[in-house]
Parts: sequence; structure tokens; C-alpha cells
Amino acid sequence: MKPVGIVGAGAFGKGLARAARRAGNSVVLFSRFPQELGDAGIEVVDDLAALTRSAPIFIAVPSIFVGEVGRELGAHLDGRHLLVHVSRGLVGAELRTLSRVLREVSPVRRVGALAGPLDAAALAEGLPGGAIVGSAFPEVAAAVRAAIGGSSLRIYESSDSLGVEVASAIVGLAAIAVGYARAVGAGPSALAVMVTRAMHEAAAVGTELGAKRETFWGLAGLGDLVAATLGDGRPELAVGEALGQGKDVEAAAKIAGANVESLGLAGRMADYAQRVSVPAPVTSTVARVIAGELDTQHALAALMARDVGKE
Amino acid sequence: MLRRFSENPLRLPHLSPYVPGPDDPAIFWFNSERKDIVAEVERRVAAAHAHDRKALEVTLNEAAYHEIKRLERQRDNESRESLGYWRGLIRRIARMSDAEKRKALERTVHHMAKDVAGNFDTRVYQLSTKVIPKLLAGVMRPSKLPRELFNNGAPLISELLQVEGSIEKLHALSKKGALVYVPTHASNLDSIVLGQALEQCSLSPVIYGAGKNLFSNPIISFFMHNLGAYRVDRRIKSALYKELLKTWSCVMVERGYHSLFFPGGTRSRSGLIENHLKLGLVGSAVEAFSQNCVRGVARRVFFVPTTINYALVLEAESLVEDWLAEEGGARYIIEDDEFSRVDRWVSFFRKLAGLDAACVIRFGEPLDPFGNPVDEEGCSLTPEGHAIDPASYTLRDDQPVLDGRRDAAYTRALGELLAERFRSETVVMSTQLVAHVLFRQLVAATPGLGIFARLRLRGEVSVPREELVKQIGQTRDALRELSERGEIHLSKNLREASASELLDRALSIWNGYHSRVAARDLGVEVTAEDPTLLLYYQNRLVAFAEAIAPPEQLEAAREIGQIGVKGGLR
Repeated sequence: MKPVGIVGAGAFGKGLARAARRAGNSVVLFSRFPQELGDAGIEVVDDLAALTRSAPIFIAVPSIFVGEVGRELGAHLDGRHLLVHVSRGLVGAELRTLSRVLREVSPVRRVGALAGPLDAAALAEGLPGGAIVGSAFPEVAAAVRAAIGGSSLRIYESSDSLGVEVASAIVGLAAIAVGYARAVGAGPSALAVMVTRAMHEAAAVGTELGAKRETFWGLAGLGDLVAATLGDGRPELAVGEALGQGKDVEAAAKIAGANVESLGLAGRMADYAQRVSVPAPVTSTVARVIAGELDTQHALAALMARDVGKE
Repeated sequence: MLRRFSENPLRLPHLSPYVPGPDDPAIFWFNSERKDIVAEVERRVAAAHAHDRKALEVTLNEAAYHEIKRLERQRDNESRESLGYWRGLIRRIARMSDAEKRKALERTVHHMAKDVAGNFDTRVYQLSTKVIPKLLAGVMRPSKLPRELFNNGAPLISELLQVEGSIEKLHALSKKGALVYVPTHASNLDSIVLGQALEQCSLSPVIYGAGKNLFSNPIISFFMHNLGAYRVDRRIKSALYKELLKTWSCVMVERGYHSLFFPGGTRSRSGLIENHLKLGLVGSAVEAFSQNCVRGVARRVFFVPTTINYALVLEAESLVEDWLAEEGGARYIIEDDEFSRVDRWVSFFRKLAGLDAACVIRFGEPLDPFGNPVDEEGCSLTPEGHAIDPASYTLRDDQPVLDGRRDAAYTRALGELLAERFRSETVVMSTQLVAHVLFRQLVAATPGLGIFARLRLRGEVSVPREELVKQIGQTRDALRELSERGEIHLSKNLREASASELLDRALSIWNGYHSRVAARDLGVEVTAEDPTLLLYYQNRLVAFAEAIAPPEQLEAAREIGQIGVKGGLR
């Protein structure tokens, strides 16, 4: 059995390492800094070349670093390798997925995204849960299942990799919206309307990008959003709440204490939706709140004042 | 008689068998391998169905159902001959034993394979490479026909056709594996022009699938059949037939036959650069590489994204009408367009006479089946420029394996890359630029109108000539910037001529060939006479409309940029 490779020793990277150990695998974990994990089965390395013998290789770094890491790592890889990223980002004005970025910067083609209601703490502790792998290549999902799956972690698969990644990114935005709405006093009904509409928006933008609509109602979309709203400690929720309390973006991000991918995504997503003529009121409202163009008094009112029609 | 020729194209008798030389490309061996290839294709297709009783029955039923439907509609000699067989088969299937079903499948596949298989006759090849260019040149300038026929130098056709790209690399790669040319498709002339381009660059001829409708002319049929074309009958809808075509192409690529597929499927009706590619045959070439890896054969497969760029398109009028009619249900195969009319050919080529580089073929950088660039040795290169073994993409647990789903995913990713390459390898011609600027002016002058309403505005929008020339110049400058960034290419003429010359050239190319006048020069102003033709020619630039528009026409350019998006006109 080849060891499971992991790039990034943040909370998620470590959680994946623990899950892989529980599944009976050895692990090669890349970290730029020394790590003490107290497990002989986890080999910590500071040279990406050491990951070439691993399958699959998880990339657990914030989305802004995925391209750079992919390029550096790619110099040691070829067509046999399998890469799986766990980031929630979409890149550039054209909202390119990170799978695509990895395919562009490295020779690896068999790439996938691990998404869904999966949080670092639950992964590390082995709490029951599930996730979804989006990849056009069936062997990627099979490898992820063999790497970290087990009786407490159900790994589903979808060949609609694009849909999984777009859904996952948009759930981050929706979670900000939920945190925000809660902070400004929205009740369950208003929240329910907002998150449902946000998912419709996500599906509309996603299909425009080439994703399948049904993916948004699966684990990567609806399932993940349910976990976020039920309070799985998602940093996006905390950011939204801080914004709702009138704090500016920098202060809100600091409170969340993590890199929140969705903050940079909101504006680009709203621009894209406008460009392709897809109505996206929730996204554009979040974007305007983040840009400081809309205050707490008016944000919810702006959403509620829109014309209503068929669902 | 004609039907006999079109269905059984003439083959010349061989008094002594042709023995290919060691450096001859694979296609020169085709005749001696044909039987073997047909048998291999039949074996694979039959084997794919033989193991599953239920699937076999479904396959036969489906094939019979579609054939009966087609033949009942056709009501021709073929119907009279074959309808009985299919009706009998569909009646008997339920009572057949497994062995009988397998036999019926083999018989069906054999019949289909025989119809598909082409021929390659070196004598016809040599004749066509020597004589056809001269005849075409003679048609263009009849007074020079005698001189052309005895001319040993480069005939006029090579002035007319310009070939660009890394031709040296293609020469090197053709020795390492199969080159799979994947060009844009605008005209039925494409395969002929591409064949001529290959000949002009001393590259090996290719095999390609040609629509059976093209075989209806016995002369064209004779040449196509004997130059390696295999016949594709687009009227046959059964899955079995499609599988047979893919297997045919897979076996050929595996054996190192350089091939030509048009991934856009049929000709681009709209003139838009194709971005929705049909990947069936591309997928068969990806599979061919996997098949070779599994068998330990080192022969590689290289895809060559190619653009064929015409200043004047032979069938422009029929194509664009068909595209516009698509909203109300498309005709799939145009049987009666300009391609089938000799008089249109003559006036087309006459029109082109004296125009340098009226057609530019651009061979893009070759790619391996996984979208990596390759070096002259045929090694796949990573983004960092390291050489890697393409066979590594077929490994699972360090063993090469066949996997249809995996190869389908590789094919989809390759398709996306090919569509990008089609854009960046496009060579803009003067007619496209002039049509674009005129059409953009028409859109800017009619805010709020839909595309269809604008197409009815025949001769109603005019632009002062001076203003038009200024805009052509500005837009060409913007195109130059894109070209410096490698996002597009410009024809030599477009790079060098003055804006006013570009306008004159475009008008003179259109007028006199197309039955309708595209635009009329009234001296002081130029009138957009036929917005439909202008739309067709300008569509090549739709993807770049915003990037090349002056600020005051950005709104119009955005509207143009939406053409073809979401699959239709609004």
C-alpha cells in the first residue's frame, strides 16, 4: 500500500492525517515547519519530492496557495499521480476551479475535490460524518475512500467535479449571509427563504459554468449548507455575524481566525453572474456588504424588497 | 450506373502489387492491411457485445429499429434491398438462440465495416497531388491552364494557400507515432485543402471519415475513396454503427495511421469558432494510445489543433441560412449546397485567383492525448518543461490498464483545451475584420433591436467610408495587440495592408461570388447590404468582440459577444 500524501499541516491537513491513520494507512505529511504529531505512522517531511511515492496526495492549503503548491509539487509528479484538494475557492474573474488550476500548473490530470460537511475537528477525532469527492476520474474517489474512508466517514462520489467545487465555494458565501442575517435579527423563516434562494442562485451560476444542477442539492451544496447553519463552527458564519454587528471586513476576518475564501469570492461571483445575466441577489448583497457599500440597516431590506414570483 | 459508383467506388486494378518503401507512411501499407484491419474491427465490436446476452439482444433490436426507420423514409434502391433483412431480423430476434444472435451481430457488423472501409491507391494519390492543384489553378486562371499543366514549379494553388505552424516538428513527430489533425470545420473543401497543405509541406496524407453524401458525385467519390477516406453515413443512427466507426478510427490510430477528425462534427453553420466539440473520434484516438500502452507498443499519438481560415467560404450562404433556420429545427445534412454545384466551384476559384493567401492553414503546437505539449522527440512536457512518459497516464497501481471512463475524462479535458486552441490559433482574414466592423456599426446604430430584426435591415444602415476605414484601422490595431499576446493570429494581408486596402479587398472578395451583395461601396459611404452574410463572416471574431471594440462601441460589442452563447440567437 502506498502512503497517503498530504500537503499542509493546518487543522485540516492534520485531520486528514489522523483519518488516514485510522483507516490503516501510513502518511507522508509535508510541512514547511517542524511538526510533532506523536504518531510514528505519520512521516513529516519538508521536501515535496518525498510525496512522489504517495497515493493519493491531498492538498490542504488555502485556495490562494493551491496554484503555487501545485506548481512546486508538480515538478516531481507525472501522469500516474492523483491529486485531491480540499479548498473552497474559485479563481479569477472566470471563476476557474482549483482542480482546473492544478491541471494547468502540474502534469497531473487525475484531480479531484474533497467537499461537503467535513470539518477538521470531526476528521481528527473520528466523529461520524461524510464527505463527497468530485472528480471525473472514478479512481480518484476510490483512492480517497481507501485513504480516509471507513465506518465513521462515508465518502460519496460525483463525476461532476465542477459542480462540487462551485457548490462548495458558494456554500461559503451563503454561510456568511446566514451569519449576517442572524446578527441583524432575521428569524427562521427569513433565514430559510434566504438559504433556499442562495442555493437556487448557486445552481444557476453553476450551470452557467457547466455544472449539473442536481449537484447543488447534494452533499457538496445543500448538505454542506445544512451543516453550516446547524453550527459546525464554520468560520464563514462567524465572519457573517461580525459583519452583521457592524464590524468591517478586516475585523470580521480576524474574529473568525481563519482564512475565509468566500470574502474574496463574493465580488467576483457577483460580477460573473451579472456578466452572464443570471440574477444573483444574495451573492451581490453579500458582495456589497463585504465591500462596505451596504450597511446593516439596508442589506436585509434590499433582499426582502425584491419582486417575488415563481420559485 | 451512378449509384453503383457511389456505393461501390471504382478501384483501379493492380497489375503488380505496390510495395511500399521503408520510409513510406503507414497509409501506403493500407491496402495490404485492409483485410486485417476490417477483421480486427469486426472482432472487437462483436466481442464487446458477445459476453452479455441481454445487451446483445438490445443492440440488435436497436440497430434494426433505426435501420427500418431510416430505410422506410429513404424509399430508394437500398431500401428495397435491405429493408427485408432488417424486418426479418427484428421478427426473429426473440426466438433466436445465443449463437444465432451472435451470428446476426457478426453479419451486421461485417456489412457495416465493408461499407465504411476505404482504399488508398498510390497512383491516385500521385495523380491527385500532381494534377489537381494544377487543374484548380487552371480553373482560376483559364488562360494559364496549359502552362500550369506542364509547370514543374509551385503551382498557383500554393500562392493561394498559406501554411503556418511548427511544420518541422510535425515532420519529426510523424516518425514517432500517429498524428491526429483536429481542425476547425467551415467548408466541405476543408479536407481537400488540408490534404493539399500536407502535400505542400511534404507531410504524409491522412485517413479521414467523409460523409456518405459527399460520395454521391462519382468523381469526388473516386478520389475520396482511393485517397484513404472512409465512408460515414450520418443517416445511420444505431449505436452499433457509431461504435464501429470509433473502433475503426481507434484501430487505425493504434497502427500509426495519421488521421484527420473534425471535432466540431459538421461544418460550423454560423461561422463561429467551434467550442462545443463532439469528442467521439477524438476519444477513439485517446483510447488508441491506451491500447498501445497496454500491449507494450511504444507508438505515440499526437493531436494537432489546426485552424482552416478562409477569406471567402464556398458555402457561406447556405450555411448561415441553415444556422438561422436552426431555431425552427435544423436540417442536419445539406444535400444541395454550393459544394455540389460545379458552377459555384468555378466562380469560387475564379474569385480567389490573384488573391495571395486566400486560405491560411495554421497547425498549432501538437499535444499528447492528455493535453501536454510535446518536444521534437515526441516526449510529453510538463508545465515546467520536464519530459515525462505519457504512458504514466494509463497506469493504475503502476500497471497500464484500459479504462473507458478514465479515457472519457481525459478526452473531455482534451476537448476543452482544443476549443481554447481553436481560438488562439485562429488567423483573422480581411473579410472577417471588415464584416465585424460593419456589423458592429449596424448593432450600434440600432439599439434595442434583436439580432433577427437587424438581419432584416437590408441596405438600411450606411457608414461614411472615412469613418469605416478609421474603425477598421483601430480594430486591426486592437487585434495586433491580441496577436502580440499570442491570443490570436493575423493573416499577412491583415498585418500589412492599409485599412482602406483591407476594405477594398473584402468588398471585392465578396461581391461577384456570393449571390447577394454583402456590402456596397457608394464612394462617400458604405452600406451594409446583407447583414446575414456580414454576420456569418464576423462571427469568427465574436469571442474577441469586447477586447477589440473602441470604447464608444463597447455596448454593441457586448451584444455581439453574446452570439452563440447559451446556444442561440436572441
